[in-house]
Amino acid sequence: MQRAARDPTEEFEELRRLLLSREREQLRDLKDRLSDKERRSQDIASVLPEAVKMSRERGEQLSNALRPAVEGSIVDSIEKRPEIFVEALHPIIGPIVRKSVAESLRRLLQSFNQSLEHTFSWRGLKWRWEAVRTGRSFAEVVMLRSLVYRVEQLFLIHRETSLSLLHVTSDPTVSKDSDMVAGMLSAIQDFARDSFATGEDSALEEFRVGELQVWIVPGRHAYLAAVIRGNPPRELRPALEETIDTVHVLKGTALAAFAGDASVFESLRPELELALRAQYAETKKEGKSTRAWIVILLIAALATAWLILALRNQSRWKDFLHRLKEQPGLVVTEARKGWFGQSEVRGLRDASAPDPAGIAREAKLNPDRIDFQWNDYLALDSASVKRRFEQRFSVPDQTRVAINHGVLEITGSVPYEWLDRVRREATLIPGIKSVAETEASIVYDPELARKRFEAQFGLLDTVNAVVANGVLTLTGEASHRWLVRARAAATTLPGITSLNDRVIDLDQRAFDQSKSIIESAFVYFLTDKDDIATEGFAALSRLPDEIRRCEKSAKQIGLDVTLEIQGYADAIGTETRNADLRQRRANKVRDFLVSCGFEPAHLKPLGVEQPFTPVPGDKATPEQAQRRAAFKVVTQPATPAP
Amino acid sequence: MIQKKICMIGASGVGKTSLISKFVHSMFSDKYLTTVGVKIDKKTVAVDGAEVMLMIWDLEGDDDYQRLQTSYLRGSSGYLLVADGTRQITLDQAIEIQGRVTAAIGPVPFLLALNKADLVSQWEIDQSRVDDLTARGWKSFKTSAKEGAGVEEAFVELSRQMIQPP
Repeated sequence: MQRAARDPTEEFEELRRLLLSREREQLRDLKDRLSDKERRSQDIASVLPEAVKMSRERGEQLSNALRPAVEGSIVDSIEKRPEIFVEALHPIIGPIVRKSVAESLRRLLQSFNQSLEHTFSWRGLKWRWEAVRTGRSFAEVVMLRSLVYRVEQLFLIHRETSLSLLHVTSDPTVSKDSDMVAGMLSAIQDFARDSFATGEDSALEEFRVGELQVWIVPGRHAYLAAVIRGNPPRELRPALEETIDTVHVLKGTALAAFAGDASVFESLRPELELALRAQYAETKKEGKSTRAWIVILLIAALATAWLILALRNQSRWKDFLHRLKEQPGLVVTEARKGWFGQSEVRGLRDASAPDPAGIAREAKLNPDRIDFQWNDYLALDSASVKRRFEQRFSVPDQTRVAINHGVLEITGSVPYEWLDRVRREATLIPGIKSVAETEASIVYDPELARKRFEAQFGLLDTVNAVVANGVLTLTGEASHRWLVRARAAATTLPGITSLNDRVIDLDQRAFDQSKSIIESAFVYFLTDKDDIATEGFAALSRLPDEIRRCEKSAKQIGLDVTLEIQGYADAIGTETRNADLRQRRANKVRDFLVSCGFEPAHLKPLGVEQPFTPVPGDKATPEQAQRRAAFKVVTQPATPAP
Repeated sequence: MIQKKICMIGASGVGKTSLISKFVHSMFSDKYLTTVGVKIDKKTVAVDGAEVMLMIWDLEGDDDYQRLQTSYLRGSSGYLLVADGTRQITLDQAIEIQGRVTAAIGPVPFLLALNKADLVSQWEIDQSRVDDLTARGWKSFKTSAKEGAGVEEAFVELSRQMIQPP
């Protein structure tokens, strides 16, 4: 059978269909898969985990490629729906925060307890003394003496590379290079392990250097090196092991893949800082309680003492203010008590008022702690006026003074001199208008009275004056003029009530003597003549001087003198002749005296009819006795000079 | 900052300690070398704008009396193999030590430092030997602890190799 000729193209197509129908089917299926989005997603989902795993094994390229997208989406998500992250992170962050806060509180409480204990205990005082003695700080001494142990530094060290991943310390001043210390710690471990040929798994667990111990706490990829001061308890090791376990839980992957970048481990710092724990020596609870009570009682006692002192001070202050207010001449306008510093008092003060500092001392306050500020003023109350008077006139013991509505009342026994001054000056004092002394009994000092007399009259050398019981006794001799003045005025002087005058009047005595001499003189005449007999001249010649003396002394005692010249004649002859003769004889003498310069008006010649009565001792003969002229001094009060 | 542990390795007296002493912050005394067998120093170098902190473990010289303590090598990201240019034998020793190090910690970046480059007149190491090593992929630097030449460069180059992605 011959087959009809067919188009070669058709034949080829037929052949391809026969040979490749399965592959074509598969190809179509693949095409469908690629164009069908859903199927493509399913395919990728099935291979993605494996692909990511392989990519990570090759390197960080996938992580690096994904990081920006992942970070961006996290930031975006936190901004839009933070609550999701809060809920997600709460189970992790919550316990960490609680643990951290609790630890901080525990440390604070412990520190406070220690401060209290160390401040009030004998041991505390002893440590304080040790600090002074050794020049260390108190805190350092306390730490050294009370510390049981303290984890001072923690190194987180990568096991493989010996590089330091994180270093935390309780003392920020520690400046040793943690990287090199970490390296050397690893080297020492290697050294120990190699030196004693122990297995790879065995390790140096701890070593001691002085007060320090270093504990090595191994982990799978990293280990902790804890630098501890003091004597840590065994229980510390499990705690540190828990810490290194936590580190591995949180950063296990990063530790395994560590390639030198330690910054990713910075987030472990809080965890490591929690492991920086310390324990201090505890005292018995009873002791603490007793001490606390002692402290409380001490504080209470101090508070009570302070309160008592404060109350006492307050009471004294009140008393002081009361005293100030009671004091005349002081007016308090403002007073403030300073509890811890200077107190203040302001007001007005009269010059006569007493010193307020003295009043403060009386009230048992220290005046140095009071700031006084006084303005001057004039107090017119009776007490102030009286004080002002007393300050100016010191009042005698027996004298009493009072101020009554401006009147100074003086009573009691008052010395005259003091009173005299008061009379003159008292009203010069502000507040005193007048002086009343009617009730006063004035006493005089005799000597002062005598001095007053002396000052008034000018005591003569010849006169002696004595005052006793108000009586002025004068003795001696004095001129008539002085005597008259003294007699007239002596009793007007204060302190002299009467005068006992026993003074001789010198002028009177001189007058009396002259008068006696003149009146005992005789001038004799010749018989029946008015011629003066020889023996009569002698008398006549002495007469003018004596008359002048007499006139002078009479003037001193206030008298005018007229000299009566008495002419006598004997009985022989007639009466008429004798009368004439008597007159002529008197005239003869007058003429003589006029010729001597005497005023005729002061001479009075008289013929005396009666015979002359001889005076006892007259030596003249009876005849002679009648032929004479005799004299009589007649006085009358002196007429004042025109 | 990235940290890397490196070691200074070489025969006794090649100048390992001298090489670093002028360039690092020292905290431990050289006494550690003879007691513990290692002294650790630190140096920060800048590599292409990034800072790398090198923890330099200066290991005690390897000789007949004191074998290299390979436990100190653990975790090293690289090492500086030091030989004394004036003593041919120290290069041989370095090559031998490199083998032991690789066996202990695997292939990590390292550099060969031919030290005492300032002593030109006493130089013993044949350049052809160095070229052979270069052909094997070794990188070498001539350094002088006395003059400071080449040291910084060596540390920087080693750091660069250590932080390069594999």
